[in-house]
Amino acid sequence: MEVLLGITGKDFTLIAASKAAMRGATILKASDDKTRQLNKHTLMAFSGEAGDTVQFAEYIQANAQLYSMRNETDLSPSALANFVRGELAHSLRSRKPYNVNLLLGGVDPITHKPSLYWLDYLAALAPLPYAAHGYAQYYCLSILDKHHHPDITLGQGIKLLTLCTDELKRRLPVDFKGMTVKAVTKDGIVDIEFDDDKVVKSA
Amino acid sequence: MSRRYDSRTTIFSPEGRLYQVEYALEAISHAGTAIGILAKDGIVLAAERKVTSKLLEQDTSAEKLYILNDNMICAVAGMTADANILINHARSVAQQYLLTYNEDIPCEQLVRRLCDLKQGYTQRGGLRPFGVSFIYAGWDPQRQFQLYLSNPSGNYGGWKATSAGANNASAQSLLKQDYKEDCTLKEACGMAVKVLSKTMDSTKLSSEKLEFATVGQTKDGKIYHKLWSADEITALLKEHDLAKDENAEEK
Amino acid sequence: MASGYDRALSVFSPDGHVFQVEYAGEAVKRGTCAVGVKGKDVVVLGCEKRSAMKLQDTRITPSKIGLVDTHVCLAFAGLNADARILVDKARLEAQSHRLNLEDPVTIDYITKYVAGVQQRYTQSGGVRPFGISTLIVGFDNGSKIPRLYQTEPSGIYSAWKANAIGRSSKTVREFLERNYKEDMDREATIRLAIKSLLEVVQTGAKNIEIAIMAPGKTIEMLPVEDIEGFVKNIEQEKQEEAAKKKTGRTPGQGSAAILTRTQDEPGDQ
Repeated sequence: MEVLLGITGKDFTLIAASKAAMRGATILKASDDKTRQLNKHTLMAFSGEAGDTVQFAEYIQANAQLYSMRNETDLSPSALANFVRGELAHSLRSRKPYNVNLLLGGVDPITHKPSLYWLDYLAALAPLPYAAHGYAQYYCLSILDKHHHPDITLGQGIKLLTLCTDELKRRLPVDFKGMTVKAVTKDGIVDIEFDDDKVVKSA
Repeated sequence: MSRRYDSRTTIFSPEGRLYQVEYALEAISHAGTAIGILAKDGIVLAAERKVTSKLLEQDTSAEKLYILNDNMICAVAGMTADANILINHARSVAQQYLLTYNEDIPCEQLVRRLCDLKQGYTQRGGLRPFGVSFIYAGWDPQRQFQLYLSNPSGNYGGWKATSAGANNASAQSLLKQDYKEDCTLKEACGMAVKVLSKTMDSTKLSSEKLEFATVGQTKDGKIYHKLWSADEITALLKEHDLAKDENAEEK
Repeated sequence: MASGYDRALSVFSPDGHVFQVEYAGEAVKRGTCAVGVKGKDVVVLGCEKRSAMKLQDTRITPSKIGLVDTHVCLAFAGLNADARILVDKARLEAQSHRLNLEDPVTIDYITKYVAGVQQRYTQSGGVRPFGISTLIVGFDNGSKIPRLYQTEPSGIYSAWKANAIGRSSKTVREFLERNYKEDMDREATIRLAIKSLLEVVQTGAKNIEIAIMAPGKTIEMLPVEDIEGFVKNIEQEKQEEAAKKKTGRTPGQGSAAILTRTQDEPGDQ
């Protein structure tokens, strides 16, 4: 019941991840951050097997930062997405593959174009204008199909995200404890205040 | 005497110098001249070919200019056999980067990877340094057109115009005299033949003694690189009135 | 020389020298000068920078000051290509440390690592030592105490209040010894770094590079205009001092100083 959502707009990429850390039917923590910053303008959100996720994400984070230090320049989101895909593909064919699904969002440091990449544990990679992982796909993609536009502003993006989370609250059988929301712009990554307390009743 | 092997590694002299590296530089100063000029809309590399023969297949046996990947070419001054090892290395580094990141390797990184290999041969493994200097011409989205020079020590630097090989000093001073900021690629090509005509022994040049290559941008923004054919070089020489008079020779 | 003890690598000579390491030290002395100065809550690195030739592309000139991690800064003197390799190893270790131990490296740790690599190259087969000395500066995670370390080709490392490496480093170090004060503020620290470099860099601001590290912040390279400001100020002060000396010097003082020195020297021997 983990939720990952990503939305691109005119000059930003929004990444949102549910705050609940679950083990079986138990919620262990309600303030989990399922994202890691890879460099100044690339953020990665992850879901999947506990342990695998953080281990993999921090491994990617370390490699991205090493690249930045060595070359005094950051990798573009597209390059990072392809790098991550390569690592996942490699892992998939190992004795114990990582079970991790990812959304990677960012803004290109040179062209300032926002981008979003969807990756799963089978090392599939797709650049998309908006994306979701897990059950969120069933409930949110239709909403996003209807309301998304490539030129939306950050405000409109957050509104669109609220539509999605409302629907999730309405439909999902388990409370996912709200969302961590971050926006990537050309100036870097910022935390977005997001109202988690809103109660949505189902019909 | 297992030490005999070790002691052939490049080692410090009492003054803290690396003679092997300095000798390698010396070797390069006997090689054919290579020059590179950075223009605002491209880069030209030109080199003097040492092996000339009427029987040589000109278009297929490049001696001094090589393509490294889709956005980078280089000119070689020094031992061609050593250069081939480094060029193979550079090509596989570039492809490995493309495979990992699905992007072309930034120019400086490719230069650096090559220089790291060169540096290794001055420090470890009981080996002599590579006897080659390279002039690299390339393009990447971060810094657009770039020109680099690297030498056997593993040092490199970025240049607007530079040269390597025989008559290096006079080529450098000619370039310093003639170089104009913001020159066009066409002007740069003209400057290149002029400099070469002065540094090479004969005043009249022919296409069989020269190699030319350019990196540029097409109208729709795509980067291209081109190794020039003999005819194109001859045309350039004629344009600048530096071509050997073929009729005179036949008479 | 023909004895061969300076030819093979990592071998003691009969009188106990490892010549390759000593010669590597000579390579360091041939490199451009770098200084490091600690202030109260700041640490400054300064470098002599060769002036760019007319045809050099100024966008791409590898600097002698580099970041090892966001909070660790390194300057070197000696062979450029060697430094690139060593710094790359340090950067890898810094990132690997973050991944494995969660925390960023301490300045002490990364210095020991760099020195350790340098030591290994004085003792393993078939390699020559690194021809570089380094100055490593920065602040540990969450700490406000400035750190400044030096490493040498032999693998020796040491902590300093202020130090210099490379060409004429002895002159600069002696200058620093005379002029260093505890708990300097940011301005004074930068000023001392620049002033000490001016002892060996005649050409002024355009041949000086200054990097500043502060707690919790990453590297800040001082703009050329600011360096120029400092240099002007220092030169002005020097002139004033010189003028003062000419007019206001009492002959008695000068000769007394010389007298004591000549008296001391025979005693020392």
